[in-house]
Amino acid sequence: MKVSESELLDLIAEEAIVDRTTLKREAALGDLGISSLDLITMLFELEERYGVVVEEAEMPQMANLGELVDFLLSRINAEPVA
Amino acid sequence: MSPRRIAVTGLGAVSALGQTAAANWEAVREGRSGIGRHTFEGGDHAPEPVALPVALCEDGFAAPLERSMGRKVSGGLDRFALLALSAAFEALHAAGLIGHAALSDRTAIVLGHGQGGQETLEKCYERYFGLRSQRMHPASVPKIMPSSAVSAVAMQFGVHGPVFATTSACASSAHAVIQGASLVQSGLADIAIVGGSESIATPGCMAAWQAIQALADETCRPFSRNRDGMVMAEGGAVLVLESYEHAEARGAAVLGEYLGAGMSSDAFHITQPSLDGCAAAIRQAMRAGGLEGEEEVLIAAHGTGTPLNDRNEAAAIRAAIGDAAAAWPVIATKSAHGHLIGGSAALQAVIALQALRAGLAPPILNCDEPDPECEIDLVVGQVRPIRARRALVNAFAFGGLNASLAFAA
Repeated sequence: MKVSESELLDLIAEEAIVDRTTLKREAALGDLGISSLDLITMLFELEERYGVVVEEAEMPQMANLGELVDFLLSRINAEPVA
Repeated sequence: MSPRRIAVTGLGAVSALGQTAAANWEAVREGRSGIGRHTFEGGDHAPEPVALPVALCEDGFAAPLERSMGRKVSGGLDRFALLALSAAFEALHAAGLIGHAALSDRTAIVLGHGQGGQETLEKCYERYFGLRSQRMHPASVPKIMPSSAVSAVAMQFGVHGPVFATTSACASSAHAVIQGASLVQSGLADIAIVGGSESIATPGCMAAWQAIQALADETCRPFSRNRDGMVMAEGGAVLVLESYEHAEARGAAVLGEYLGAGMSSDAFHITQPSLDGCAAAIRQAMRAGGLEGEEEVLIAAHGTGTPLNDRNEAAAIRAAIGDAAAAWPVIATKSAHGHLIGGSAALQAVIALQALRAGLAPPILNCDEPDPECEIDLVVGQVRPIRARRALVNAFAFGGLNASLAFAA
């Protein structure tokens, strides 16, 4: 596993400039103050740090932070395709 | 009707000399230098590293701002804009204006920068040309644009009045001061947050400055016979200008007065200065500031330490001021803080105002042997007591864009 949930939340807090303690799984992204620009910035940082390319268009509709975290962790920690 | 008088009610500065206006003043007064040798390393796709003299800011300069106001604005900026925002916070805090109602509708912001988000631009180029990646950081454009600093200051402090950036190379912040002052004089604003910043000491940009052969081998030696160029620096400085009535009505401490300015264009050469153009700006500033006939005026020279500038500036001072120039002390603090390009004039104004208030002219550093061709009253050796209550601050830019500012304390 390349990244733990806690490490990913650290990155989200840093890139979206939000208080780490407000990052609860059930919180809606809009309520957390995470904009679409913040989201693209996060995807960019994930690519820089872990070499994972995730296009914004590939992301499914997500109701809350928990779904975003699960989606990103599954992509970051996926076995490389041979 | 005569134009409204303009008070200076706040100062802020970040440079290699220190992270407050007071720290910058203490350093130049004590003859300390912020210049050191730094190795510029451009990464895997760059040529061999190069070591050059430069004056860099220590990290942590944004800490007071972020402790007080969080990171929501400051977290997404190029370094040049963060330097400006940090200096603006200090100046507004000192002026007692953080959270003040006048910031909303009766305040202007004008900051000057020579280039903009150079560090971000070079990262983009590395990705595009070096890594051959089509994907750029989504914040690239908003970080590179030269107006990102004034936008950040407006967002951070809730300023809804006239907000824009000026650019005139090494005179950018001088033009910003003048524009901000005219917005107050004309009544479009009661307060103007003015100044500038620069952060272009990046590996790619330094190579470009080497190409123009303007950089010193060792250090900045203004008006010295053995001077051989300027030293690049990063930093930012901000002044709060305010109409006298407004400052008095809210009981603000007045640190000095902006008296007026002169501006001219050489219309001559993209890098060489002209005596007539520089002298014209100084003459206008003397007239606007009522400095003619003064016994002693402090001159904060542009004083870059390049052979051409210093000889030309000394001649322009003589031509504009005449024989009285023999008794007007000339300081050149780029010998301590280096050349902040777009931020220089504002930092030199911040220092000059403190020099007037202290009654002390800080020494020109590294002026080993005053150039006999520069026949002006150079302050060398040690700090000198002065009687001057007024100052001229010169800024002469590449492309022949000249400005001279007149202040009183």
